[in-house]
Amino acid sequence: MKTIKKIKIVVAGPFAAGKTQFINTVSEIKTVKTERKTQTAEEKSVKEYTTVAMDFGKIRIDDEHELYLFGTPGQSRFDFMWEILGEGALGIIILVDSTDPSTFHEARRIINFFQSRFPVPMVVGANKQDLPNAWSPEDVATALDIGEEEGIPVLPVSAIDKESVKNTLLQLLNIIREELLSS
Amino acid sequence: MALTGDLKTFNFVDIFQVIAKDKKSGILLVEWKDITVAYYVKDGEILFARPVDRIFRVYTDRDFDLLLDKLRISKETLSRTVERFLISRLDIKEGVFSFTPGFIKYGSDYSIAYPIEKLIVLASRNLTPEEVSRKISDEMLTFEVLDGVQEKLKRAEITPEEEKVFSLVNGERTVFDIRRESGLDNLTVDRALYAFLALGVIRRKKKEKKQKPSIALDLLMKIIERIREL
Repeated sequence: MKTIKKIKIVVAGPFAAGKTQFINTVSEIKTVKTERKTQTAEEKSVKEYTTVAMDFGKIRIDDEHELYLFGTPGQSRFDFMWEILGEGALGIIILVDSTDPSTFHEARRIINFFQSRFPVPMVVGANKQDLPNAWSPEDVATALDIGEEEGIPVLPVSAIDKESVKNTLLQLLNIIREELLSS
Repeated sequence: MALTGDLKTFNFVDIFQVIAKDKKSGILLVEWKDITVAYYVKDGEILFARPVDRIFRVYTDRDFDLLLDKLRISKETLSRTVERFLISRLDIKEGVFSFTPGFIKYGSDYSIAYPIEKLIVLASRNLTPEEVSRKISDEMLTFEVLDGVQEKLKRAEITPEEEKVFSLVNGERTVFDIRRESGLDNLTVDRALYAFLALGVIRRKKKEKKQKPSIALDLLMKIIERIREL
């Protein structure tokens, strides 16, 4: 039997940024979730269940390869999982809830975490652009202190929209392609 | 598109940074516990502040010069409103804000007593340890100075202590080193670094180390093609 090689992209970001939805939208399998009831009153006010270990979705590439999308838990108390999931990742997508500036600083902390440990290509998805009070990707970039020189594009995303999720993945893959060609 | 948030989690330094970045114009509305204040913003500068009893009233006056006439406020006294309704309130953390871009028609020729750079620094001096830790989150962080920042620093009117912190940023020293070598308390150093980041005079130093993508080009192209087909 042929061994299927797994290629990994990590989807990280603060609590309730839309990571599970993002994976769900493009995964060919029902996203495997490790959810538990939210603990704190603040978390409960946002959603009832939250990822505690990881989510993963899968896209079959050919007979020998599968692309895995791993979603990390959002809360920093689970940051040991970020470390585990980041290992061997081809690229990283950081999702941010563009309607909730209270999570922007946490998003920057997550970017710093992955940048310092896994210097692989990264894009930021300014998610929930379908909602009326979403900050623009440009304003999200400013709030996250992401300058042009950092080489991290901040893209408009709506995780419920397949084309939008595909576009985010393609932008990341194109950065990886450019890095391959230039190295 | 309005930018909205809570001062508890997105403080004045952060708000001013976003306003200054693209030299935005519009109205910043802050609903404090005691009053609601409208701040009139032109090209990234806060010109005027006025308390409002009904929010909709802010949006009925679309011509700034006519509004000043109506309120009998001279252009020369605009800065006093900024002092009274903004600078004196920079330490109050409870309130929600919304910034509506565009919308109001401004004339020209308004004197700016408090440039946005100065407001950023003034606001940074009120940051709590918890607030500064959101950006100065690690004492091993390293910052570097950007080119052509003297004009911004001049407008910011930084103190000798802040000047000292700035002089120690060289792309090599970590936050830990700057704290130690400055001889200043940690909070003063961190507030100054937070302000410099918001001013855009320093930035996080990027790690040079880059990992070569661990994938063959033909496989990567196959993945790209597959994603396109989804």
